[in-house]
Amino acid sequence: MGVARPMKRSRQRLRSLGLDLVSILVVGTLIFPILWLYLTALKPASQMFSSPFAIFPTEITFANFDRIWSALGFQIAFRNSMIVAGASSLIVTLAGLGAAYSLSRFRYRLQPAFSGVILAVQMLPGIVIVVPLIVILRQVRLTDSLLGLTISYLLLGLPIAVWMLKGFMDDIPPELDEAATLDGASPLQILMQVIMPLMAPATVAVGAFAFLLAWGEYLFALSLLTSTESRTLPLALQAAFGQFTIDWGMLTAGGVIISLPPAVLFLFFQRYLVGGLTSGGVKG
Amino acid sequence: MIGPSARESARASSSMPTAPSWRRQRRRVGYAFIAPALAIVAAISLYPIAYQIWLSFTDWYLLENPTPVWSGLDGYGRLLGDQLFWQSLGRTGVWTIGTVILEYAIGLPIALLLNRRSRVTGILTGALLLPWVTPTIVVGYTWRWLLDSESGTIHALLQQVGIAGERSLLSEPGAALPMLIAISAWKGIPFMAIALLATMKAIPSDIYEAAAIDGAGYVRQFRDITFPLLRPVSVITCLILGILAFYSFDLVWVITKGGPSEASMLIGVYLFRLFFERLELSYAAAIGVAMLVLLIVFSTGYLRALGGKRA
Repeated sequence: MGVARPMKRSRQRLRSLGLDLVSILVVGTLIFPILWLYLTALKPASQMFSSPFAIFPTEITFANFDRIWSALGFQIAFRNSMIVAGASSLIVTLAGLGAAYSLSRFRYRLQPAFSGVILAVQMLPGIVIVVPLIVILRQVRLTDSLLGLTISYLLLGLPIAVWMLKGFMDDIPPELDEAATLDGASPLQILMQVIMPLMAPATVAVGAFAFLLAWGEYLFALSLLTSTESRTLPLALQAAFGQFTIDWGMLTAGGVIISLPPAVLFLFFQRYLVGGLTSGGVKG
Repeated sequence: MIGPSARESARASSSMPTAPSWRRQRRRVGYAFIAPALAIVAAISLYPIAYQIWLSFTDWYLLENPTPVWSGLDGYGRLLGDQLFWQSLGRTGVWTIGTVILEYAIGLPIALLLNRRSRVTGILTGALLLPWVTPTIVVGYTWRWLLDSESGTIHALLQQVGIAGERSLLSEPGAALPMLIAISAWKGIPFMAIALLATMKAIPSDIYEAAAIDGAGYVRQFRDITFPLLRPVSVITCLILGILAFYSFDLVWVITKGGPSEASMLIGVYLFRLFFERLELSYAAAIGVAMLVLLIVFSTGYLRALGGKRA
């Protein structure tokens, strides 16, 4: 027995190490295409075609980023994406907070119907709504405008924001609001001064999520925007791709610029977002 | 789900003022706070859906009619006889089922691998999210580049193994759809794995300890404990990813635009082409309505058949 125990423990440790290696190999293979994209963006043009299997850059350069950044319309597209994603995220978070507060703290007759509608809309695919939405926006002359795109992006984030925020709010004891009510606080004051401070990180995470959904969106942008001045980043990347000669270095750098903010925000807010993601649907 | 109901009863029995006028005012405040969100939902989803249903009963082909003309069920009649529609629908069915099966078959083992206490699993779980959080347009162009017949790394690899020839698999009519299914599954695997992993972590470890004392090995523990407890989350996650796959448009549009010829034309791509290239607004609307009805019918049937009692 005295010998068997340490042997068993070291065998367990060996098994754990083996599983670690398998995990690293599996996840590494799976995320290889993305890693490859990031690494290639840092490679000088001379190394791009030397061998398709040279994984790591021998020297690191930001020349690719310089080229895409100064490409026609890319900076405008960056600004447009910031405006559209920022504005829609702000509206979604504010409207979502109100709705979550109403569903979490108040009781009224139409409440089940309202929450049912918001839940149903969450799974509504963009492609099913794109035809009427574009026709309506065309009638009110909001095509090829950032305002029209922002409005259509509210649909992407609002339902999931309501559900995530309601989940976080339900975890805050209502006794706190009741105490504040007895102290004479109005419902709005309770939301902003009692509840909000307790779920500030979660609210920021939901806002970040709404930002991401709009940031990478393609279908509505493609359907609504036509001019170079109103393009968002996905359309700018598409335009760079359509040029006569394909400059892979520049394109991979563009891909990194578009995909880095979502990746960073997601890793940062992982704790808040994963629970919300797995409890409800997500728009593609 | 003890939490909310206990809290609700606590709220009901709390010593708040209960005068009718106070309660009426509180109801009004409740409506006021949800009003902005409801207005948004009504304006950009309920109204467009209603408008789409109306459009589907009209004939509005921009090249002939400047405004919609009522035509009753003509659009749906055309749908029944439209071979391209039925072919795209069948293709989309294959695509959806293939995507979800691959996502589950690969996502489940990955979740099992990561469901351990170890220094690397936390980092790997974060890294695993990368394909999921990368915007579809970037994923699409990245795969086009990786499978490019001249500069594609994965194309070169597939060529050496003998799977790919001189041309990219994406331009081979027989290989384009399977390749796209693999890419679409690749993007969804992280979501599947993380959803399953979150549920696995919530299974109390004493169940496994008790099973181990009874002599159950790893395989039996998985078969008799883990897998049955994963059933609800599996059913829901497969439905969510299945819906996403059935209605996908952008991945295929970016990579092949539905080609070569129509080899990868999904129903979403067909709808987009009708709308933007052929300007057949009413017919595109009819297909949109048909897709919506399919969503409702299929989701309900699926949950009835597999969901059992949902909490």
